Amino acid sequence: MNKRKKLQHWIDFTITLTEREIKSRYKHAVFGFLWMVLNPLLQMFIIGMVFQFFIRFEIENYFEFLFSGLLIWNFFSLSFSKSTPIFVNERHLIKKAFFPKESLVISVVLSNLFHLLIGFLLFILITMNFSLNLFWIFPGLFLLSFFTIGISLLFSSLNVKYRDINFIVQAMLSLWFYATPIVYSLDMIPESFRFLIYLNPLSFIVEIMRFALSNYPMTDVFVKLGLNLLVSLIVFILGFIVFRNESKNFDDWM
Amino acid sequence: MRKKVAISINKIVKEYVLHHQKPTFFGTIFGIEDRKKFNALKKVSLKIYKGEKVGIIGSNGSGKTTLLKITAGITSQTSGTIKTTGKVVSLIELGAGFHQELTGRENIFLNGLVIGMDKEEIHKKFDSIVEFSGLGDFINSPLYTYSSGMGLRLGFSIAVHSNPDILILDEEIAVGDEKFREKAMNKINQFSKEGKTIILVSHWLDYIKTNCNRIVWLEKGKIKADGKKEVIEIYRDFIKKNSKSNSGHYV
Repeated sequence: MNKRKKLQHWIDFTITLTEREIKSRYKHAVFGFLWMVLNPLLQMFIIGMVFQFFIRFEIENYFEFLFSGLLIWNFFSLSFSKSTPIFVNERHLIKKAFFPKESLVISVVLSNLFHLLIGFLLFILITMNFSLNLFWIFPGLFLLSFFTIGISLLFSSLNVKYRDINFIVQAMLSLWFYATPIVYSLDMIPESFRFLIYLNPLSFIVEIMRFALSNYPMTDVFVKLGLNLLVSLIVFILGFIVFRNESKNFDDWM
Repeated sequence: MRKKVAISINKIVKEYVLHHQKPTFFGTIFGIEDRKKFNALKKVSLKIYKGEKVGIIGSNGSGKTTLLKITAGITSQTSGTIKTTGKVVSLIELGAGFHQELTGRENIFLNGLVIGMDKEEIHKKFDSIVEFSGLGDFINSPLYTYSSGMGLRLGFSIAVHSNPDILILDEEIAVGDEKFREKAMNKINQFSKEGKTIILVSHWLDYIKTNCNRIVWLEKGKIKADGKKEVIEIYRDFIKKNSKSNSGHYV
């Protein structure tokens, strides 16, 4: 196969897997889409109640603040937790044929991206906020997907050889939720610790998306963007290298 | 006429790590799991020429499947080199890559992409794939409604339409009714006439004997014999002797 044909095949394959991923979610639940929105809505109401009425957070439009954060978090945690065991779950394919295995991970991320986009669209339609800041959504989505693909490739590759990685990821995710400014805002954190929060690439992404969707103030955009890119790039390269070295022998561990 | 090499295998070693339960990260760093190593292939070298019909025989655990998996790119060798010319399609565990929830139609696209066809090619050959499989209206039903023979027929049909240069098969192709078996054999013979390379793995020695022009016998990760039909007889003798000496232990 020449290069162009190879690329065409890769794109076709990735898109077909993504479609399958999206379809399979709706095949058994008529209100499949509703569930996608209902979940963050429920989370928003429960967490919102706690921090508005029991512990009072002084954040403007707290429910709106919470909802955009939860949409992004759900994208990340669903993609990451679904990707981690994917090579083991798709072993019937891996044992049988030679094909671009990274497409399995990418299709999970893309199908969740599809749902996130719908979530954002609804969000914008409800808040009716059309400012120029909205354009920040695109670099934000790009960075978010880039980081999610990188970390998913890393842990899904490790999970083939070490099956407890899947449990480690589940544990990590429940801590990670609180290490990301979803229920709280960054100015509630002492200044000297803030730097640590930004080592988590999701912090910048949540902040920039809130800036884009609801005009929440944001400072030092480019410094934070640079740090985000750096961390994401390191994770992505690490994920890519581990995947490249391990994927040719996935079959041995199935 | 100089023969073109289709597959060139040079001193391939494949090392597996034996693991009894699921391997874990904590188990490894604390050294709880013992990971014994095992060589499935021990410096195997083999040249297969374009248009050959090669049968690979050997007892269970001799390394046949490992060799074919490396040829198909499903796993990679620990050391040594392999070069294949053209597209390799493996028909081992035919249809195992199917999704039970998806319809036959959706599975044709998915499976076609998995074995390396692009969408345009699948669209073009779609009707022909369905016709060859003989599934008719079942093509729009989900795969769990299929009998196992139907799944195999669909898998075989997709694979032969992917226009492979090297085709890897096992005795499973003989599954299905008489009519389909004949159709499948015709197709394979046609491939052979077109100069495509065919590799067959089987325990069904008579079948190999009548269908292959070269036979390779693998035993414990090494090539024991490589030649024409006489290899089958050598192998049969070996089996007879072995089973005698084995049974001796039990008496």
